[in-house]
Amino acid sequence: MSRPDLSVNLGQLRLPNPIMVASGTFGYGLEYERLVDLNQLGALVVRSLTLRPQVGNAPLRLAETPAGMLNAIGLQNEGVEAFILETLPRLRAYSVPLIVSIAGESPEEYAQVAERLQRTSGLAGLELNLACPSPSHRAFDTAPQLTAEVVRAVRQTTDLPLFAKLSANGGDLVPIAQSAVEAGADGLTLIHSVAGLAVNPHTRRFRLASRVGHLTGPAIKPIALCAVWQVRQALPEVPLIGVGGITSLDDVLEFLLVGATAVQVGTGNYLCATLSTDLVGALTDYLTQNEIGTVRELVGAVRDVM
Amino acid sequence: MASWELQAVVVEHRQRAPNQYELILHAPPIAQTAQPGQYVLVRPMETLAPLWRRPYSILRANPDKGVISIFYSVQSQFTELLSLKPLGSQMSVLGPLGHGFQREQGVQRHILVAGGFGAPPLSFFASRLVSALSPDEQILILAGARRRDLLVGLDEFRALGAEVRIATEDGSQGYAGRVTDLLSEALCEPLPSAVYACGPNRMLQMVCEICLVGRVPCQVSVETPMPCGVGACLGCAVKVRAPNGAIWYKRACTDGPVFRAEEVDWE
Repeated sequence: MSRPDLSVNLGQLRLPNPIMVASGTFGYGLEYERLVDLNQLGALVVRSLTLRPQVGNAPLRLAETPAGMLNAIGLQNEGVEAFILETLPRLRAYSVPLIVSIAGESPEEYAQVAERLQRTSGLAGLELNLACPSPSHRAFDTAPQLTAEVVRAVRQTTDLPLFAKLSANGGDLVPIAQSAVEAGADGLTLIHSVAGLAVNPHTRRFRLASRVGHLTGPAIKPIALCAVWQVRQALPEVPLIGVGGITSLDDVLEFLLVGATAVQVGTGNYLCATLSTDLVGALTDYLTQNEIGTVRELVGAVRDVM
Repeated sequence: MASWELQAVVVEHRQRAPNQYELILHAPPIAQTAQPGQYVLVRPMETLAPLWRRPYSILRANPDKGVISIFYSVQSQFTELLSLKPLGSQMSVLGPLGHGFQREQGVQRHILVAGGFGAPPLSFFASRLVSALSPDEQILILAGARRRDLLVGLDEFRALGAEVRIATEDGSQGYAGRVTDLLSEALCEPLPSAVYACGPNRMLQMVCEICLVGRVPCQVSVETPMPCGVGACLGCAVKVRAPNGAIWYKRACTDGPVFRAEEVDWE
């Protein structure tokens, strides 16, 4: 049979395949350029940019946990201006769709970053990292109103495809997802990390300098699958990007089957630098062997046990 | 600097002491380019727990045979999995990574301070240093550990013809006390010296303080978790200080793991 069609549409954004790399786990992409063929990726999501450079948190920033890891990087990044002047020109050498993650302390700050990126060329979309503390100290993605304020502010500054990345830390995700879409998000990235903590019982110290961190990796996969499934039921027309603990083809298939149109590889990049592009190959082989013409046939095709 | 992610073949687990092993891996491109102080990330398992790859300093590299070796002792689930890898099996290796030790110019004595399991990269460095030594230069090894059974790589250091001074905190071998005491003492000898150190962070901090006070050029190899190895995850932050006092974070995985003493802010 002919080569299967791996392309997917996230609203107006067409990706050559559904395998993306997740923000924060792949740097600006250039860190991996000698190890990974970036042009084979469905999309590259660069680390969250803020209006001004951020030095990040004091160490220790990481802790390994069973089938997962905690991070508390503190949004260390070069700032949107340096990104546009120094990093983006190098990224433009690649044909991979480029999505920039943005973060901020207020809706206005997100909007300023988005507005600055809107005035440049070569971007395929923006992803809003909403797991940042709002002025009320609650993360923006933990209440519908907070989420909506950021999405609306950004939507007013840009016509780039806009994806709201949400954690499941705010309880029922569906109303938060709905508010993001109503405020103008073209799609949703589910999920951001899960709040977590670890202690070294021998030293009786927290294992992260920030005490609380962000849990990622296979440990959160069932939570992420559940989030994708529930939001898909409530918002069947909204493109969803699944992320959380993907390390294998089976993981990719699970996310597609519960309703994700595309997926992001995050912590898995640390197990094998070429995991994401290996998964593109594995998915192609799977479709070919099972005579599935397009990967889109799998999206939401999960069946009940009986 | 080029790095490779490849399936290395397990050549040998060579026992060096009770519960101390040298793992020899066939990984030609890494063997041909590895520099002292660089490291590899290894992942001997397919499991999700443990999850991360672990960084290991390169103990030696033989470009002709295409092999590298790393040093391990079995003290965790990860190192147990490493120890169980059969000869001839493959494991994922990414490397060589990071910036290693640079030979200091204009000194007569290169002092290598090895704290416990920090010895392997210094052993590799010493072997390369020896072959490039001028007649008026010498190498002094200061090796320290809590107990004598935790001293690593003494045979290699001695085989290079270098002078080796030993300190154990319990006095079971050599000077009874800290290896940093030996360093202070050595720096009193009137020879222009440079210091290269690898070991626990508290030892490195003391080495840096001694060298900064004595205005002795000093390089230290720090240890942190380094999941990605390429500078992407920013998890291996090392606090650094610019001459103007500005504070920020460098990445141990790519900016290091070897840093100059004056850079690192240990506060």
